[in-house]
Amino acid sequence: MSLLTVNDLKVHYPIRGGFFRRVVDHVRAVDGISFELQPGETYGLVGESGCGKTTSGRAIIGLNKSTGGEMLFEGKDLAKMGRAERYKHTKDIQMIFQDPYSSLNGRKNVLNIIAEPLRNFERLSPKEELLRVQELVARVGLSPESIYKYPHQFSGGQRQRIGIARALALNPKLIIADEPVSALDVSVQAQVLNFMQEIQKDFNLTYLFISHDLGIIQHMCDRIGIMYRGRFVEEGTADEIYNNPQHVYTKRLIAAIPEMNPEKRFEKMHLRQSINEEYQTGYNNYFDKDGRMFDLKKISESHSVAMQ
Amino acid sequence: MKNTVTINEKDLIAREKLNNPSFAKTIWREIIHDKMAIISLILLIIILATAYLSPLFIDQVALKRVNFLNTWKAPSAANWLGTDDGGRDVFGQLMIGARNSFTIGIAVTLIAGVVGLSYGLISGFYGGHVDNVMMRFLEFMMVLPTTMFIIVLVTIIPNYNVVSFILILSIFAWLGKARLIRSRALQERELDYINASKTLGTPSWKIMFFEMFPNLSSLVIVNMTLTLAGNIGIETGLTFLGYGLPAGTPSLGTLVAFARNPDIVQNKWWVWLPAALLILVMMLCINYVGQAIKRASDARQRLA
Repeated sequence: MSLLTVNDLKVHYPIRGGFFRRVVDHVRAVDGISFELQPGETYGLVGESGCGKTTSGRAIIGLNKSTGGEMLFEGKDLAKMGRAERYKHTKDIQMIFQDPYSSLNGRKNVLNIIAEPLRNFERLSPKEELLRVQELVARVGLSPESIYKYPHQFSGGQRQRIGIARALALNPKLIIADEPVSALDVSVQAQVLNFMQEIQKDFNLTYLFISHDLGIIQHMCDRIGIMYRGRFVEEGTADEIYNNPQHVYTKRLIAAIPEMNPEKRFEKMHLRQSINEEYQTGYNNYFDKDGRMFDLKKISESHSVAMQ
Repeated sequence: MKNTVTINEKDLIAREKLNNPSFAKTIWREIIHDKMAIISLILLIIILATAYLSPLFIDQVALKRVNFLNTWKAPSAANWLGTDDGGRDVFGQLMIGARNSFTIGIAVTLIAGVVGLSYGLISGFYGGHVDNVMMRFLEFMMVLPTTMFIIVLVTIIPNYNVVSFILILSIFAWLGKARLIRSRALQERELDYINASKTLGTPSWKIMFFEMFPNLSSLVIVNMTLTLAGNIGIETGLTFLGYGLPAGTPSLGTLVAFARNPDIVQNKWWVWLPAALLILVMMLCINYVGQAIKRASDARQRLA
């Protein structure tokens, strides 16, 4: 059974206007996306900025209200749960935030930051709590005495690891990683990503990995969903998406990855030009008359594309 | 993980106490490290101790007795700061007055602070419709003419004393604070650490008062110290208008109010000048101590 099944998830925001601030239209931030997460896998959500990746992630964890569709976590719909019932699942779904500078409260030291979820869900004596936090801090590769320091005394990568330790404190099943490394510099990115893969094995975690960086997604994810304007454009395994992209948007996205080898520069340029031509001529195959994507159609067991 | 096992637990707890001092200890350390703050604190304690202990040594009945043979006497050995228009000792009035004024100032500040802080935090944290309703009520309260309402309430309340005066002043003192806190809380709630707390299952009231509030505390402390001065000023102003403390209760306001006559300003300085200076010195002291507390509340600004 899949861990999380998202069916036709919609997050619409009303646009108010007119004399009585009536709802005149909606911003369709997320407009009917569906995907499944199998236990232990990493699912990547990719897309340009503003395409609704973060909104989907936040809807799943409950920071945004979804306006339609269902999110089945272990068979139960998170969207229809009351507050008390939703609270029970807080332990199972955790989030790693994008910005390690604002996601840690600067007035609290590391001990209090990491102990926060433990204090909410587990009754531990101060000594037990201290040992648990020490263990978590050591697990994310920080020195044990750093628990008395404050967030501003750490570098960006270290802060992100504190955020990861906090998310791990409750032994969650699913972690939503919302661009966890986009605020870090490249040398630290690899470090944090490899570390995330390590703990995935240790804790048997499922990741919903949200990013706009195709290289990172390729490195991290088993399956990938490409998003554009709140809808899925293409979904498949990492291999299928990178080696056999079907939708023109995916092709353009992958062609935009910089080429390391200078000798292949012209080859790459021609590829981009041919894709651009395909985009100009074949536009109607990929987008309907309102510029909206078609529904996903299966072209193989794991690969589906939004084409006519 | 080996690191955690090798560390001695007693050692750890001792180190935790050393590295993780309570907020009171941090404030104390901060004040000690700031010369102005420690001088101010000592001065403030001396002034307040004198003011609050003076009733033990001053005959309050004698202080209120009018003596026409003794009016407008310049400072002398018998009357350290001279006498006023009723021949009453100014020094005694200054001490009792400082006590009354400070009590009123601090009580109003605290009540207004707590009410305004809670109101602003709730309004800003929830936002949306809650914020809308709460802010409309606040705006309604704000358009009421404050001074007139205080005067009316002072007149119609049957047994009018210091406590009811404090409560009447507090009704209108929290409004501005609530707005200030609410505007910062609205900013703060968009930050990820609040979202993180929500996803970690922390209840809303805990997020408000233990996550958000510490980040607003510098604002609150600065605002409280400034309004403490302002509230003593309000008391002074109302006493000047004749709607302040009940008749016969000395306050700094009564003494400063003497200064509306040019003759007194110029020739009988001993009546109003000490009270004015006392207000000034107290305000400066409160301000310096307040700044030290403000720094203690923010780990990035600490000197110690």
